[in-house]
Amino acid sequence: MSQVLSNNDNCFNITNNNYSAPDNESKILAWLSPLEPWVRHQDIEAERVDGIGAWLLETKEFTRWHNTTKGDGPNHATLFCDGNPGVGKSYIM
Amino acid sequence: MQPCSATAIQEWERAISCKRMFIIAGNKRIVLLIGWDNSSLVIDKLCNEAEEKEDTAVLCFYFDFAARNEQSPVNMLGSLLRQCVSGLERIPELVVQSFRKRRKGIGGRGLQVAGILKMFQSITTTKSTFICVDALDECAPEHRMVVLESLRQIIHGSPNARVFMTGRPQVRSEVEKRLDGAAAFISIQPTEDGVIRYLRDKLSKDTAPEIMSSTLEAEIMKIIPEINSET
Repeated sequence: MSQVLSNNDNCFNITNNNYSAPDNESKILAWLSPLEPWVRHQDIEAERVDGIGAWLLETKEFTRWHNTTKGDGPNHATLFCDGNPGVGKSYIM
Repeated sequence: MQPCSATAIQEWERAISCKRMFIIAGNKRIVLLIGWDNSSLVIDKLCNEAEEKEDTAVLCFYFDFAARNEQSPVNMLGSLLRQCVSGLERIPELVVQSFRKRRKGIGGRGLQVAGILKMFQSITTTKSTFICVDALDECAPEHRMVVLESLRQIIHGSPNARVFMTGRPQVRSEVEKRLDGAAAFISIQPTEDGVIRYLRDKLSKDTAPEIMSSTLEAEIMKIIPEINSET
């Protein structure tokens, strides 16, 4: 598919100096980071059991973090969930 | 709806393959990790809500001990910025200009943390941005220090930014210290209901059910939740 699109670019005579050109958009995105965290997420997705950990969403800490508004500043902007290995932290995120 | 560029289509294809999805909200195209439905509790909730709102971005990062060399602060923060930029109609001029300047250096100079934060804050000033970071303890200590300081700067500089993190208890004090004591904490403990659901799921997917007797299955369902409740 990408090959087909590249050929299309040539048809439209898009030059390498045009930064809105698709190839350069790809280059810029790759330049920002080579990492693809969604790959790890797929591994987790395969293992997760639906419904586990829903209690977290009802806690006052989560509710306050989630409902924080602009005027609250950074005071409630971070929520850290800690737990020992194997308790399911990754599945909760 | 505005026409998509070839790159946008490529990103779309990759997103679909990765079970992500883009939506159009108003006149702005926003990347949402919607396809991560039922794959994670918090991200799922945030993405479902973001479908209804304009200008909301849900970003994520998973630290992995085995990948700690490549998961440098620059690559990690760059990944968040990349996810943010991918959802926009076009790449912001500030990012394009930075790319141009850096490319002129010897061999093409890479990004730096300060530059990423500047771009990130410029893009997210008016956006609700949820950053989800998993397994902070698996980030190398020297990297973690920079990552936490960067997240601190993000939440101070972007009033609508929220950070959700998970990690082992031993990094809790570090989070507290680096984020000026402003973080809230929840301890994750497996509930009895959660353990039972998990066991039922695993037993239902047993690839050799013929060797599982009903006695053994009942024993598993009784003893393991009991052990969990004792710890």
